[in-house]
Amino acid sequence: MSYRLPKIKHLSEYGTFFVLILLCIYFSVRTFEEKHPADASAGRSLAETIAQTSLPGKSVAIIARQSDEAFANALQETLEGANVRVAGVFLGQPIGVRQALRDFSKNVDQIDLIATHRGVSQSWGVLSEETLTTIKADISALENVEIRVPQSYHWPTFLENTNILSVLKQMSVTAIIAIGMTMVIITAGIDLSVGSLIALSSILVAWSIELLGGAEASISELVLAATSAVLGCALLGLFSATMITRFGVPAFIVTLGVMEISRGLAYKIRGGPSPYRIDSESFHELANGSLVWGIPNPVIIMILLYAAAYFLMTHTALGRYIYAVGGNAEAARLSGIPVKRVLLFVYIICAALAGLGGVMNASLFSVGDATSGRGYELLIIAAVVVGGTSLMGGEGKMLGTLLGALILAVIRNGMYLTNVDTFTQMIVFGALILAAVLLDQLKNRTWRKHSGPNSSAV
Amino acid sequence: MLKNQLPYFIVLAITILIGCSSEQEPGPSTSANSSSSSATASKGTIAYSALNLTNPFFGIIGDNLTTAAETAGFDAVVDDAKGDVKTQVEQIESYISRGVAAIVISPRDRLSINPAIEKSHEAGIPVFTTDLMSVVPVKGSEGEDGEPTYEPNPLVVGHVGTDNRQGGVLAGTAMVEVLGETGGKVFILDYPSANSCVLRVEGFMEVINQHNEGRETGQIEIVGKQDGNGDMNVGYEVTAAAIQSNQDLAAIFAINDPSALGGITALTEAGKADQVTVIAFDGQIEGKQAIKDGKIYADPIQFPDQMGRLVVQKIQKYMNGEEFDTITLIPTVLYTKADADNDPELK
Repeated sequence: MSYRLPKIKHLSEYGTFFVLILLCIYFSVRTFEEKHPADASAGRSLAETIAQTSLPGKSVAIIARQSDEAFANALQETLEGANVRVAGVFLGQPIGVRQALRDFSKNVDQIDLIATHRGVSQSWGVLSEETLTTIKADISALENVEIRVPQSYHWPTFLENTNILSVLKQMSVTAIIAIGMTMVIITAGIDLSVGSLIALSSILVAWSIELLGGAEASISELVLAATSAVLGCALLGLFSATMITRFGVPAFIVTLGVMEISRGLAYKIRGGPSPYRIDSESFHELANGSLVWGIPNPVIIMILLYAAAYFLMTHTALGRYIYAVGGNAEAARLSGIPVKRVLLFVYIICAALAGLGGVMNASLFSVGDATSGRGYELLIIAAVVVGGTSLMGGEGKMLGTLLGALILAVIRNGMYLTNVDTFTQMIVFGALILAAVLLDQLKNRTWRKHSGPNSSAV
Repeated sequence: MLKNQLPYFIVLAITILIGCSSEQEPGPSTSANSSSSSATASKGTIAYSALNLTNPFFGIIGDNLTTAAETAGFDAVVDDAKGDVKTQVEQIESYISRGVAAIVISPRDRLSINPAIEKSHEAGIPVFTTDLMSVVPVKGSEGEDGEPTYEPNPLVVGHVGTDNRQGGVLAGTAMVEVLGETGGKVFILDYPSANSCVLRVEGFMEVINQHNEGRETGQIEIVGKQDGNGDMNVGYEVTAAAIQSNQDLAAIFAINDPSALGGITALTEAGKADQVTVIAFDGQIEGKQAIKDGKIYADPIQFPDQMGRLVVQKIQKYMNGEEFDTITLIPTVLYTKADADNDPELK
């Protein structure tokens, strides 16, 4: 029967993956809607259409939002390349439109077309039919003006590049901490302090940056500030682990205590609940910039950390020890595995990653906030459990946790995009966690049935 | 093997999908999808990220905003940030992905929200705020303690809020009126993490300090100021402790109704409900009822319904290219037992 085992193990991973794919398909279908392009290529194609369809000698006014520079530039260049006269380009807010049209009408005898995009033409009342009628009456050059917008197309909002990237960016902090949590849970432990450690770390990094010169802090000083915040959290992890290994206090209780202590410390250091502003621009870039191929930095950090954790868990002795400690601590001790040191390692890593998460959170919002990270421990544990790690210890996979975090993030985002109300969202999340645990139970049962009593150790 | 496993995955998948497809019930949130499927000339979507929909205050803003938006030809979407900055930012990013026409935020925090506002601005979507205002530090204004002065965030196109300082002044005036020439000990239930509540306490203290100035007897003495978290449970605990250490407490000023109601529970428990006057803030229905029942003396009340409507009005004016005031602060009105007795809303 043993030849069947690998199949089952793989299937559980495929299963999580399958659910993720299913979700992506579902939300893509649900968010399949009309898109109104406003980028450079939309500008070019609109210009080409105008050049083809309008008679020579016509002139065009370009009206768009401040952020539509690429669209407007492409539009203008292509129009002028095709010898269509551009009476003027206006980039701004609706309030400037009338004046702009008045100014443009001085350049030409007649403005025949207003070129813009659908986002502007549908929302800006100043370009609505009735307002336009009054403008036409006011400015004679606009007498016969018509509005032209680029062709719309249909595409799922869920699959928009910007949406996918923001989902990945949003999940990165919890996913990174989930690496540490997975290790802790594989050793049959739990760490409830991570949410508070996010808060403490964000306050620590904000404080250190201020001490090191605030806006003027150099890169190396910023690294020092971030490192000290991470180390501060790692110290608390060391404290938790010591309480657990030396005094045998249950991890649940120890980390519950540390959770209160670290949030209290965060408030103490700040002297209250008001956020700690971080002036440094470079620090802001850490979580908001993107160094490689336009992928947000937090996503890159997340992927690198998962690769490292995957390697650690599957290719090193330490990884095997972590599984062994969770499978059966006594057996692991008897076979010469340094159980206490393994436990120290996982709790310190988990706390340090929570510290890193706090630094990234602080960078994301440019504030250190003692109230942040509330309830994150449960979100993180949920990602680990949905990813197929057993709370009984001994089994679990990094890849599974990453998939679990992805599933939670995709559902969250999908529910926002499809307007699911908050209370339904809570029910869905609860049901999802229960379903994942149920699946875990059933999987174990089938496995045991097929593999017999002798192969219960992982 | 597949036979054994697959059903469970399907159960899991179905659980999720059922949950996700049960939206679009009648309620404050209206689907944006309808704008594309129907050929009606929707002007786009106004999306509102409320601070916390379990607080009825934001529910009223959302409901009025939805009605006003639909009347004006827009679709409306209302989301609950559940008091969490990260959730709020996620919601705003989803609005950007969808390409809504305008975004309205009741920010969780006046600073942490700024990166999200900047992102919306870069995407060309105008941002409006209600209730709490987003601010930025004035460059080079750092004082001795490193705390700069703040000014309204210039990227925010319009703001509608309550004149919280004026409300605090009203509360302070009511307090002076109650305690009068005899003065007495006053305890404050504040909520320093919400800037609106900081302003309320500032306005309140202004009147109290004025009253105390140059006065030998009959001073109003602030014996304590504790964070009630704007919430009933914390308000209850904090007040219970305050009456232990101040047996002769004369009055309490609470920065909102929920924390005041928690405080009243503690007062009733200690048998001091008659001895201690409570002045609160907000004018939520429970607060008004407590005023009618004589448990709260008076509330400077806010007008969330007006906030929802006025912010849509601003959006319309913005879109139509008309002039409008960037910041509108709605003054509060003192609501007393006389008002409550004539209020048809109350039992």
